[in-house]
Amino acid sequence: MSWETVIGLEIHVQLSTKSKLFSGGSTSFGAEPNTHVDLIDMGLPGVLPVANKEAFLKAIRFGLATNAVINQTSTFDRKNYFYPDLPKGYQITQMALPIVGEGSIKIEVDGVEKIINITRAHLEEDAGKSIHDLFEGETGVDLNRAGTPLLEIVSEPEISNAKEAVAYFKAIRQLVTFLDICDGNMAEGSMRCDVNVSIKKEGEEKLGTRAEIKNINSFKFIERAINHEVERQIRIIESGESVVQETRLYDSIKNETRSMRSKEEANDYRYFPCPDLLPVVITDEELNNIRNNLPELPKQKEKRYVSDNSLDIAEAKIIASSKTMANMFEEACLKTDDSKLVANWLVGDVSALLNKDGIDIDESKLTPDNFAKMVERISDDTISGKIAKSVLEEVWDSGSDVDEIIQKKGLVQIQDESLLEEIGQKIIDANPKQVEAFKSGKDRLFGFFVGQVMKETQGKASPKSVNEILRKLLS
Amino acid sequence: MSIQYKTIAELRSMLDSKAISSKEIVEETFKLIDENNDLNAFITLNKEAAIAKSIEIENNPVKSALHGIPIAQKDLFCTKDLRTTCGSNILSNFIPPYSATVIENLENAGCISVGKTNMDEFAMGSSNETSFFGGVRNPWGQNLVPGGSSGGSASAVAAGLVPAATGTDTGGSIRQPASLCGITGLKPTYGRISRWGMIAFASSLDQAGPMARTAEDCAIMLNEMCSHDFKDTTSLSEDVPDFTKDLDSSIKGLKIGIVKEFDMSKLDSDVVSVFEESKKHYESLGAEFIEVSLPNISLSVPAYYVVAPAECSSNLSRFDGVKFGHRSTDTINLEELYIKTRSEGFGDEVKRRILIGSYVLSAGFYDAYYKKAQQVRRLIKNDFDSAFKKVDVIMSPTTRGAAFETGSKGSDPIQMYLEDLFTIPANLAGLPAMSLPNGMVDNKPIGLQLIGNFLDEKKILQVAHSFQKSTDWHLKTPKGTKLS
Amino acid sequence: MDKKTVANIAYLSRLKLNSDNEEKITSDLENIIKFVDQLDDVNVENIAPLTSPLEKTAKTRSDEVTAKNRKDVFLERAPKSNEDYFLVPRVVE
Repeated sequence: MSWETVIGLEIHVQLSTKSKLFSGGSTSFGAEPNTHVDLIDMGLPGVLPVANKEAFLKAIRFGLATNAVINQTSTFDRKNYFYPDLPKGYQITQMALPIVGEGSIKIEVDGVEKIINITRAHLEEDAGKSIHDLFEGETGVDLNRAGTPLLEIVSEPEISNAKEAVAYFKAIRQLVTFLDICDGNMAEGSMRCDVNVSIKKEGEEKLGTRAEIKNINSFKFIERAINHEVERQIRIIESGESVVQETRLYDSIKNETRSMRSKEEANDYRYFPCPDLLPVVITDEELNNIRNNLPELPKQKEKRYVSDNSLDIAEAKIIASSKTMANMFEEACLKTDDSKLVANWLVGDVSALLNKDGIDIDESKLTPDNFAKMVERISDDTISGKIAKSVLEEVWDSGSDVDEIIQKKGLVQIQDESLLEEIGQKIIDANPKQVEAFKSGKDRLFGFFVGQVMKETQGKASPKSVNEILRKLLS
Repeated sequence: MSIQYKTIAELRSMLDSKAISSKEIVEETFKLIDENNDLNAFITLNKEAAIAKSIEIENNPVKSALHGIPIAQKDLFCTKDLRTTCGSNILSNFIPPYSATVIENLENAGCISVGKTNMDEFAMGSSNETSFFGGVRNPWGQNLVPGGSSGGSASAVAAGLVPAATGTDTGGSIRQPASLCGITGLKPTYGRISRWGMIAFASSLDQAGPMARTAEDCAIMLNEMCSHDFKDTTSLSEDVPDFTKDLDSSIKGLKIGIVKEFDMSKLDSDVVSVFEESKKHYESLGAEFIEVSLPNISLSVPAYYVVAPAECSSNLSRFDGVKFGHRSTDTINLEELYIKTRSEGFGDEVKRRILIGSYVLSAGFYDAYYKKAQQVRRLIKNDFDSAFKKVDVIMSPTTRGAAFETGSKGSDPIQMYLEDLFTIPANLAGLPAMSLPNGMVDNKPIGLQLIGNFLDEKKILQVAHSFQKSTDWHLKTPKGTKLS
Repeated sequence: MDKKTVANIAYLSRLKLNSDNEEKITSDLENIIKFVDQLDDVNVENIAPLTSPLEKTAKTRSDEVTAKNRKDVFLERAPKSNEDYFLVPRVVE
């Protein structure tokens, strides 16, 4: 029996506006509970929503970047259900006429490209947070997050396996970060996804019953959850039973999906147009403005790095693949003309450290600022490339400021010519045999002298200066 | 000098001539309220703060006609730090941390909020019998209802306790009690008055409005109540005119529409004669009556009873015992918390409407009910638009009859719903409408309704004012006719 | 409007009818639905639903944080809370 998997992803992207979708409450992460709550976010009797224009503009950027239909007039609907972190007992969303309609995005898996069509992307408000494990027998509700603008991106069920799902998710993440509409911070929940999975016999037209796995927020878990779910569904069908259409949660510790206890299935959301919100219209002028000011996307950056910074394609691709790395590259290039140097560090040492720790550059302690500073210190000869490696490692581990590290550890390289000459002469005087051997043709012995000077200066001598001086002294 | 039954205009002139101070007026107001406690017109009184303000305000410049005047506020408006219940058990302990825009507007104009008036629970009702805080008595009769949902406001004004009060009108809740209590009440164009801080019943129908003894007083109130509010995106940005200007304009040549489809034959003959008398009077003032056809108007009440419950079923979901208001004790899980809290907190009429609302929005029924009702709503609005091409205002009785006895509408909710037959259409279309007293039936007052075109409050106020200049129905009080 | 339907919509609305009012309210609901069924026969072909009496579009706000921290004000109005959270009976997902 050959099975085909059919997957659709609904990705919730938290838009990086300063304030909420319908109120002036702050959206910033990590605040004390219930301190970023406006009257409107509380759903107090008598309050009314006012739409945040910026959320629309960000949503439209996504639509333009995915060649999607933009509905310049869009409307809001109410989705009615009860949950403690849903203060009004309904969520304001866009059901009938979303801001962004059909579009598409290209993904790449193992070198093969595929287009995934996107059904729609609509604006809706996020709910608050329910904290289940802090209080005995009780759940705590924090409404800080309630009202944060989300862009819900719904894919067509065109994804065929877990790898494609991850590639799609990564592609969306890359796009929204480059478009500057979301910070892409998975740990903070800036992007979450619901995965719809069903299976069918190979060649069969009719889709199988799907299960929805809710709220997954890491690439690893998406892959595992899908693989587990597919196996589960195959087991069920092969044993003669049917898959139940239901909502499931992925348990990352047990690596399994389980049915949600709540009566979600009994829920009829009774969508209807929200009478408090009139249709929002984006003018042609506004639309063109957004179009003309779209941030640079990865492909555009790649091209520019090759043409303007003389990087080779492979380097450009790596650097342009992540918004953070691209930022680092561009900021560092402001501090030095040597973009090749910057690129080498990113593609070389930094990438190696990322691989070693198995993390994304956003998760590292290296900031664009600090990185730029490090490159600048190499460029201006404050430290040597070799010393820089140890500085980078220190920064990687502690996040401390580059200059502070250099000062504290006394890493400023010695370039003082007279001092180096003195030391060099001292070494030469102390090693007459090697000097003779070198002068009689044993060129490799040059390294010995360099090594000795370095030893004498605890590695702090500027290799460049040492080379020049020794060459002079030994000539 | 008693202030009972005085109008805002009369009190203003007494204050301006220093014949009385605001403090004296306010103190007497509370005395009157106390003496008339059996009306049960108020849920919460604001005595200390009111008297304090009346003293403080003495030294402030007079910014409006309302300066120093006591006003009663319907308990549907959030008033900061003053209990706001909406006539419901579920909010019986709710103290809002903010005030409605309309309250702020009135208080900034210098009015003194003396208390929160009783009302049908969550504005659902036409007799003030659904309030958790007990029914309100109509000052015109021992066992009579004042109408609803703004029954407390109507009763307080009719009894002369305050010159004016705020009300809200979703299907007739200002006009119908105004009619039954013999006072003047106006619902403006949808969007004229900000809904920020107005506890929502049916968002696309709710409007605040003044209830007072005269059209002139309504105009004074309206001037201060209306504003464009960026916190309510459904509030109009059109300029607020001075509604008191041009009230005296002649109505000669005015075209008044009579709706063909309002079947007068179904009304009591006394009610019909009162209406006919008013028509004659307007003709004597130079107006011309033209028949207009609003072919879909008979669908107003059924359409309303789909749309309003649908919106309210959603608006009332926030009352869940989690963040504010009543919470049931002794609940073992979340489901119980919701179900017990809400079942304890809401009365039967509210429950009925929430259930109808959930039903008409539910999967499988949405198109047949909710969507259909909204389409019918557009038909009704279109009918009005056509009619207003031919006439300046539309006139009808406000109610089918005068005030009825408590408990007399029996147990059939539909009998109660039909009370709003004449008033509902204006809400569906978002048009301004008002009621003014125009006669007596069985020694009980009854009202005349004027419906205006979009944004044309001025016209209906003029038409009402010209009636009140030449008749004395609005001067009648339960104790006899007031000297004008 | 059978019992099951009423029970379903009551649950959706988180309301429970008790033996006192269940029968009456069920019959009321039936009557109300029958009453509004008058809308059935109306021809609404090509008529767009009217969501708001205003024929206008929304005013929006600019992206600014205007809310202050009012945690204490909100929590003191909560039926059950501690110094940081609103509290409800434990929810199991």
